[in-house]
Amino acid sequence: MLRYILRRIMQFIPVFFGVTLLLFLITTILPGDPVALRAGEKKLPPAVYAEMRHAYGLDKPWYAQYVDYLGKLSKGDLGTSIASGRKVVDIFKETYPYTLRLALAAIVLEILVGIGAGLVSAIKQYTIWDTLVTLSTSILVALPVFWLGIVLQYIFGIQLNILPISGASSARFTAFAHLILPAITLASVSTAYAARIMRSQLLEVQSQDYVRTAYAKGLSPSRVLWGHEMKNALIPVVTFIGLDLGAMLSGAILTETIFNWPGVGFTIYRAIGARDFPVVFGGVTLVLLAVLFVNLLVDVSYAFLDPRIRYGAANEG
Amino acid sequence: MAGELLKLDDLKMYFHTRDGVVKAVDGVSYTLNPGETLGVVGESGSGKSVTALTMMRLVPMPPGKIEGGEVLFKGESLLTMKEEQVRDIRGNRIAMIFQDPMTSLNPVYRIGHQIAEPLMVHKGMSKAQAHERAVELLEMVGIPNAADRAGDYPHQFSGGMRQRAMIAMALSCDPDVLIADEPTTALDVTIQAQILELMQALQKRTGTAIIMITHDLGVVADMANNILVMYAGRPVEFGTTDQVFYQPRHPYTWGLMDSLPTQNLTEKSALHPIKGQPPSLLHVPTGCSFHPRCPYAKDVCGTMDPPLVDLGGGHLSACLFSGDPGFERRVVEYAEVPE
Repeated sequence: MLRYILRRIMQFIPVFFGVTLLLFLITTILPGDPVALRAGEKKLPPAVYAEMRHAYGLDKPWYAQYVDYLGKLSKGDLGTSIASGRKVVDIFKETYPYTLRLALAAIVLEILVGIGAGLVSAIKQYTIWDTLVTLSTSILVALPVFWLGIVLQYIFGIQLNILPISGASSARFTAFAHLILPAITLASVSTAYAARIMRSQLLEVQSQDYVRTAYAKGLSPSRVLWGHEMKNALIPVVTFIGLDLGAMLSGAILTETIFNWPGVGFTIYRAIGARDFPVVFGGVTLVLLAVLFVNLLVDVSYAFLDPRIRYGAANEG
Repeated sequence: MAGELLKLDDLKMYFHTRDGVVKAVDGVSYTLNPGETLGVVGESGSGKSVTALTMMRLVPMPPGKIEGGEVLFKGESLLTMKEEQVRDIRGNRIAMIFQDPMTSLNPVYRIGHQIAEPLMVHKGMSKAQAHERAVELLEMVGIPNAADRAGDYPHQFSGGMRQRAMIAMALSCDPDVLIADEPTTALDVTIQAQILELMQALQKRTGTAIIMITHDLGVVADMANNILVMYAGRPVEFGTTDQVFYQPRHPYTWGLMDSLPTQNLTEKSALHPIKGQPPSLLHVPTGCSFHPRCPYAKDVCGTMDPPLVDLGGGHLSACLFSGDPGFERRVVEYAEVPE
């Protein structure tokens, strides 16, 4: 198992270089100039303009910039924001906790509502509950996230006026209130998928021979469900939710933007608009590491959920 | 113990599907005494397994529905008793093993746990006690290193070992009846013989009655006291093993025998399998349900329903001609049957 993890971490290296190289290549063809954008309407004197470009290393060719970026990264430095002049590390130290908070809230929703709805739907197959779950998940999957976010803002924020619709808060109660709508929006599509996977997996497991064996042993239906069926049916659901957590840690750009949520996604989105390349690179680097790490975690957890999967040599793990 | 252990009386279970009524079990009767072995023989789809599942109340209802008959276990009706009571009997007094040991064990639980489970449920054993007993049971069914192997998962066992584990699980609570549903079909021939020997040896030791469901007459000839031959959900012949195996009177049983390989099999005396498939239970032929495939059939077979008649000595056969002295098995070619 340890050898497997090490091998996986080795695989991070080409992925890391691939993603960051691609990113640098894209910035070279992106129109717009961070220095000019920072100056706004005014036109900078050519001397000042050239000096600023030099200060940020923008006068160098892209590969030289890339080498600079790697050099700084090896010292844990992500550079300085062109737009605000702040350290990129500081910016994300501030914003990552918000993304984390939103992601965890959405995942909790996904686990509770998604697994719960799928479970009810499968157990009460062909009843009104099943129809309700199937219908609502179909609709949720089809709804664009930004549309759902705006509609929720309109209903709960403007019409009912009971929930905040923008920004985040650090006070305990208001922090929770601020979290509700973005979390629901972010979780919506994944929750619907989780419910559908849960339903289909459970129905499939229920027709397996070992479930018949469990009943033939004289186990009660609840013991068969929670002991024998769920343990098998949950494996794909856990994988899906785990991978989804990785995606959410990369900052949900749409959700964070709609709700002005000061997280990673929103920050990267604004940095792209301002061509604030150090922030974009730094953000993507952090996100990349988070996603790789969570994916590894999911793969490792798989071995614990399903004994048929053993990484590395036989009898290991 | 004296008296009947298990008695099926004209049991009928139909599936009500969108396409129509499937008469999966259509009037099956038999009696099983303590320690006896009953062989239930027939092709796939003849209702052998469903009969067993029906009496264990393991058939999902709906679409299944009991249409009549009775199942008595030690004089008590299994069909009308409460679900909790049946659960006390399942795996405890009547245990089952299934055809495919590859899929009948739960892949995410250790073998030892799966064998210990019925002990905890039925005998109120603690986890440790049940585990200890599970190891003993694994030893009993001939798993070497049982204490270690109890910690294995099913995928670490071979097919034969898994079926041994299934047998250990079924025998864990020392049941009165063991229903073995094609226990050797999915196994290699050499392993088949080992498993059958094991079952016979354990039966001698524990006195468990066995219902052996199989499509292979040869399997039951050695083991069974009585044999029931089923076709299209109905019993077609019943009797002692001597009666059914050595003096069969039903053309379908003859057909099953013709399909058995013999030791002096030559080119001239090649296998004569019954051609075609058992009928779809949605459209059972009128009259005798076997008549379209029967080389002995006459016109009357297509119109008259053959009753199960006692030929003497408890030997029952459902063929209009079974009682005729001149009606004998002969070398026949089975005709192709249009689907």
